[in-house]
Amino acid sequence: MKNRIRRIAALLLAAVMILGLTACAGKKKSAEFKPALSKDTQCSLKVAGSYSNFEALESEFERFYEYYPNASLSYVYLDDYYNTIGSAIASEEAPDIFTTTSSMLSDEKMNTLFENAENLADPALKIDLDCIREGAMRTTANGEVLMLPIFTRTYGMLVNMDIFEKNGLKVPGNYAELVETCKKLIAAGYKYPIMGANGTTVAGMYYAFAFPMFSSTVMKNKDSLDALNALDSSAGELMRPALERLKAFLDAGYIDPAVCAEQISDDYNAVIMRFFEGDVPMMLGGGDMVSGTAKRESKSEAFTANPFKYKFYVVPAGDEGGYFLDTVNMFFTVNKNSANLDMTNEFIRFLTSEKELGNMAAIKRLTPPTDDFSLDEVYSSLEGFPKERTFTSRETGINDAVNAEFRKATYKIANGEMTVDEAIAAFGTLNAK
Amino acid sequence: MKRALIVAIDLVIMGLILFFIVQYANTKMRESNESVIEAFGKMTVTAEQIITNYLEDEQHLCDIWTNFINRSAEAGEPMTAEDAISYIRKAKISPSIYGHLIFPERADMSGISTHPKATGSDDYRVSYRNINLFDNLSEVSSVDGVINLTRAYTNPQNGVQSIAFMNFVTILDEDSGELKEALLMRVEPVSMLEDKLVFLNGDYESVEISIINREGDYVVHGKSLKNSNFFEFFKSYNEASAEEYNKTIEQVTSGTGTMSMLNSKGEECVISYTPLSVMKSWFLLAYIPAGELAVNTVVDWLLLGIVVLGLLVLLAFNLLMLMFYNRKLAEAAADANQANAAKSHFLSTMSHDIRTPMNAILGLNEMVLRDSRDEEITAYSESIRTAGKTLLGLINDILDFSKIEAGKMDIINVDYSFVSMLNDLVNMVQGKAEEKGLAFNLDVDRDIPMILNGDEIRIKQIITNILSNAVKYTKEGSITFKAGFEKIEDKPDSVKLKISISDTGIGIKPEDLKRLFVAFERIEEKRNRNIEGTGLGMTIAQSFLMMMGSHLEVESEYGKGSVFSFELEQGVKSWEPVGSYEDAFRRSVSERQKYRERFIAPYAKVLVVDDTPVNLTVFQSLLKRTKIQIDTATSGDECICLYRRKHYDIIFLDHMMPDKDGIETLKEMKEITDTPNGETPVVCLTANAISGMREMYIKAGFDDYITKPIDPDRLEPMLMQYLPKGKIAPAPDEDEEDDYFIPDFIFKLDELDVNSGLIHCGNRESYMITLKMYLDAASKNAEDIEKYWAVRDIKNTTVKVHALKSTSRVIGALKLGDFAARLEKAGDSGDTATLDNELGELLARYRKLAEELAPLNEADGEDADDGRPVISKKDMNEAYAALSEFCASFDYDSVVHIVESLGAYRFPEEEATRFDAIKKAVDNFDYDLIPGILSGGEDNGH
Repeated sequence: MKNRIRRIAALLLAAVMILGLTACAGKKKSAEFKPALSKDTQCSLKVAGSYSNFEALESEFERFYEYYPNASLSYVYLDDYYNTIGSAIASEEAPDIFTTTSSMLSDEKMNTLFENAENLADPALKIDLDCIREGAMRTTANGEVLMLPIFTRTYGMLVNMDIFEKNGLKVPGNYAELVETCKKLIAAGYKYPIMGANGTTVAGMYYAFAFPMFSSTVMKNKDSLDALNALDSSAGELMRPALERLKAFLDAGYIDPAVCAEQISDDYNAVIMRFFEGDVPMMLGGGDMVSGTAKRESKSEAFTANPFKYKFYVVPAGDEGGYFLDTVNMFFTVNKNSANLDMTNEFIRFLTSEKELGNMAAIKRLTPPTDDFSLDEVYSSLEGFPKERTFTSRETGINDAVNAEFRKATYKIANGEMTVDEAIAAFGTLNAK
Repeated sequence: MKRALIVAIDLVIMGLILFFIVQYANTKMRESNESVIEAFGKMTVTAEQIITNYLEDEQHLCDIWTNFINRSAEAGEPMTAEDAISYIRKAKISPSIYGHLIFPERADMSGISTHPKATGSDDYRVSYRNINLFDNLSEVSSVDGVINLTRAYTNPQNGVQSIAFMNFVTILDEDSGELKEALLMRVEPVSMLEDKLVFLNGDYESVEISIINREGDYVVHGKSLKNSNFFEFFKSYNEASAEEYNKTIEQVTSGTGTMSMLNSKGEECVISYTPLSVMKSWFLLAYIPAGELAVNTVVDWLLLGIVVLGLLVLLAFNLLMLMFYNRKLAEAAADANQANAAKSHFLSTMSHDIRTPMNAILGLNEMVLRDSRDEEITAYSESIRTAGKTLLGLINDILDFSKIEAGKMDIINVDYSFVSMLNDLVNMVQGKAEEKGLAFNLDVDRDIPMILNGDEIRIKQIITNILSNAVKYTKEGSITFKAGFEKIEDKPDSVKLKISISDTGIGIKPEDLKRLFVAFERIEEKRNRNIEGTGLGMTIAQSFLMMMGSHLEVESEYGKGSVFSFELEQGVKSWEPVGSYEDAFRRSVSERQKYRERFIAPYAKVLVVDDTPVNLTVFQSLLKRTKIQIDTATSGDECICLYRRKHYDIIFLDHMMPDKDGIETLKEMKEITDTPNGETPVVCLTANAISGMREMYIKAGFDDYITKPIDPDRLEPMLMQYLPKGKIAPAPDEDEEDDYFIPDFIFKLDELDVNSGLIHCGNRESYMITLKMYLDAASKNAEDIEKYWAVRDIKNTTVKVHALKSTSRVIGALKLGDFAARLEKAGDSGDTATLDNELGELLARYRKLAEELAPLNEADGEDADDGRPVISKKDMNEAYAALSEFCASFDYDSVVHIVESLGAYRFPEEEATRFDAIKKAVDNFDYDLIPGILSGGEDNGH
């Protein structure tokens, strides 16, 4: 009897402690936004960007109005953004916030842009940058944060879950399983188990298949990185594991570049619409492809007639599994010369939370720059992805030139224009040719 | 229930009023909203006019630049690109307006600008390479006033959202020295256009003006319109089919109007649209939340609220009043019910209290009528019977009326003989009519069917009432009873009986006719004060007729007489005609007999319980001739005592008794399990004859009930129903008692009350036998008493005195019996002094009575061979067996009874001695000797 009472008391104590811990954790996770300025503040803010349409942001405007009903925020699409944003910042109608990308940082033309950027890490601004996952952050040498990550994206494939369920298949977790699954799918009548856009862009299928694997090789050979980025032909060997894996997969006939080229005319709209036809088990592409699905479901007659469940997975190209390559798609930068700098910072402070960034990502159907992938079920496979196979493009340190060389190499090998050896030997000159 | 109905109706009326108000308010609101929306639409047209004016003005300024440059070329002095830009730089007033001169032949659509790049360099070159703006350059008109406008785009020089007015100009190519065409653009920030629309905000606080192109892309983008394209925005937030979507596009791009849609928050908003008259591909949209336009609803809701409140208050007030009056009504109803209950109680009490003594009067009178030979006494007795029956009739009238009033009077149809009913009626009334010297005429249709089906009792009651009235209110002349009938076409098994009774009585005044059927009303009370009646007769008759689907008709002439008539549908069971009623009547009279018992049941045992001893006597007397063995008890407890130990065939139990009433007693009896009377029917004796009683008694557990005064004609059939069939024997044919001779000297003996003796003995014969037995035992008994007393054996002396008391009372020697009772008491209490003083006197009187009775023995010798039947051997053996059984169970009452019963038979010589021995043993209370005598007999028999 005594023991029993003790046991019950112990259980109760444990329950109380667990509850207490969860309460603490919860508190840390979702601190409610508290307006710092007067609720009646009147102002007009402008966000400039390259998206012709930015409903995710407009949704945030509406949420922000709940705290500042007299504020007025608008989004402006700038034609020829790369060339006009510089002028726009200098003009009388300069935007208060403008979108930036990783590549802008290394572009000298954009230096003036960042000269006008607010340091969001300034403690006085009280912006909760802790909610951003480490790999997504861009911090300057002197510790300034000029760019707030808004969306991230990765590369992988859309999986038609209904086909897998119908055939009693599990989504493959490593290369051996991928091959096995493809065999079964072909046996089940799916002639082309994997498709994608046959191109050299980052949205193309070869990039999604092989680039994350290539990145992992580079991660393991950091001492060769400088040579690689200098396009030293000797560094081309780093491409070998990824290229050979791609070649082997193609040779096995699980991807048919000719058919893909014929049926999929571009790397965005056509890829999505082809996937919605419902007969492709796996469709290779990037985060932008996923982003485009939301609006296209209703545009696809096939999908409307026979809707199915689909999810995003990284391609399990490695022996031990796939690689989650984490890339920031878009940043917001604050114009420090803004006429309404306080309110602009207030909006950024509002936006910098798991909740708001997650909300935007869910509407845009891209991954958020936070750790929380739960808001959009399509990305649920990324939650808790093994750390050892997760890396950011910043961590890999691969520059754009190498990136472009690799893409070219994959395309040429896939389309029979080069062997793997030839491509490796030609590293550094592939795009020149 | 009623209140719920009233509330429901009130609520429905309230609902209807509110419905009307809401409908009316809605109609008014709709009208009002329509006019508001119309005004909003007009505002949109005004805005369109402002924009048109602006665009025309700006295009005109562009045209001026163009014309100046082109005139120079036409005049042979063409400007170079630099000249043209310099000119424009001077000509334009606003610093935010840019001039771009673009060379369309260049692939990158570049040229020069009035302003350098905003990034700060002195670079005046401008390029539209990455801005898709010039797809429709061929449509740019050179006609003055025609607006050539680009979409909203980003000015590459300053990154500002702008629109540009365009014209082609002719300039000199410095390199080639030739003239060439260049595109002149007057580039203006969109914000300038937006500023023109700011004024509108005065009228409508939340209005937002947007301009879209034919594709829906915004040129001017209002804050609340999301997406980069209006039609996409519409699609995103409004669930519209493809057809509706296309219809909306068609609607917005084809004319002026307003439409409702949901904004990004799901709130209703109004969009007013109109195309720009100068720019067919641009459309002006004015957005406003629907709430801002619908301003007039507040008043209506207030009105509605007040009306609802008012109606609810009214409803609550009505309910309160309703409750208040309902309570008052309920109180009044309770009072009325209480009064009615008091009346019922009174009727029931009166019924009981009057009928109980009536039971004694009529019952004992019946005895007198049966037993008396004195004509004078018989005549008195007849008068008592008549008066008693009249009184009973009055009580019955009141009871009937109370039944009718309580709605508990039922019509019970039975088959009945019409002639028999007629007999009863004629018998009842003929005598009365003759007494008053009235002629009683009968006119009965001889074809009336013999057996009819209907409520005979009620019909008889109706006719009796009318006939009684006729006799009562007619002093001289005649009363005519007429009965006829008529066949009914549709109903072959029924006839319409037509009864009419006419008299030559006092008649009724026309003004009194309607009072005839009012309860308790007596017409001409003063004049008829000597005529007895409750005033209920006609009311009851009319009520009965109405219950049978008919009514009583009266024709009357005051002073001359009245005719009462009615028609009644009756079923026919036998179409045999009654024939001449006179014959039938005579026949029935001749068949009429003096009272005769219907049966005898000497072995049946009945227990009667009533707290009034005279009622018990009446009961016993009524059944005397049936020879039933009757035990009596005067209280519930006494009854229960007997019920426990002795078997009865029926128990009659009075309802109203002190201490423990009949129902309580019955309840206790039912709980007793160790009783030989588990199956014995219990009949309620009651003076309570009002409606609903039967149900009550059956419910209380009685098997039946019979009302007091007890009607022998009901009692005997009831006994026949409940007594075991084996114990019922047909009544003997001859009427022994009436013929059995009681010598005159017996009646003259002072010590004897013959009637009392007769009652105790049941009939004359057994009385005579008992007397002889008394005589035979007298000398021995007297000696025994003397003997016992001589040795001061108080116990046996007392037992013997007790026996003397009982036997004396049985023969009607009541005073002697009382004397013996006194001494028995003295013996019981050991009062030897009293016995010493008075025993001698008692024995002297006893012996004197015996001497006076001595002539009986002389007569006995003469009548040795009397007319008594010789008992059969079988009956005798049965009687002996019964005696033996009763002795074994010490049931000496039954022993006495059997021995008395056996006195009615002569025994064969060989048995006569044995029977005499038994008789003597009984007379001497030596019951313990009887088994010995009987067994000796058996031994002899075998």
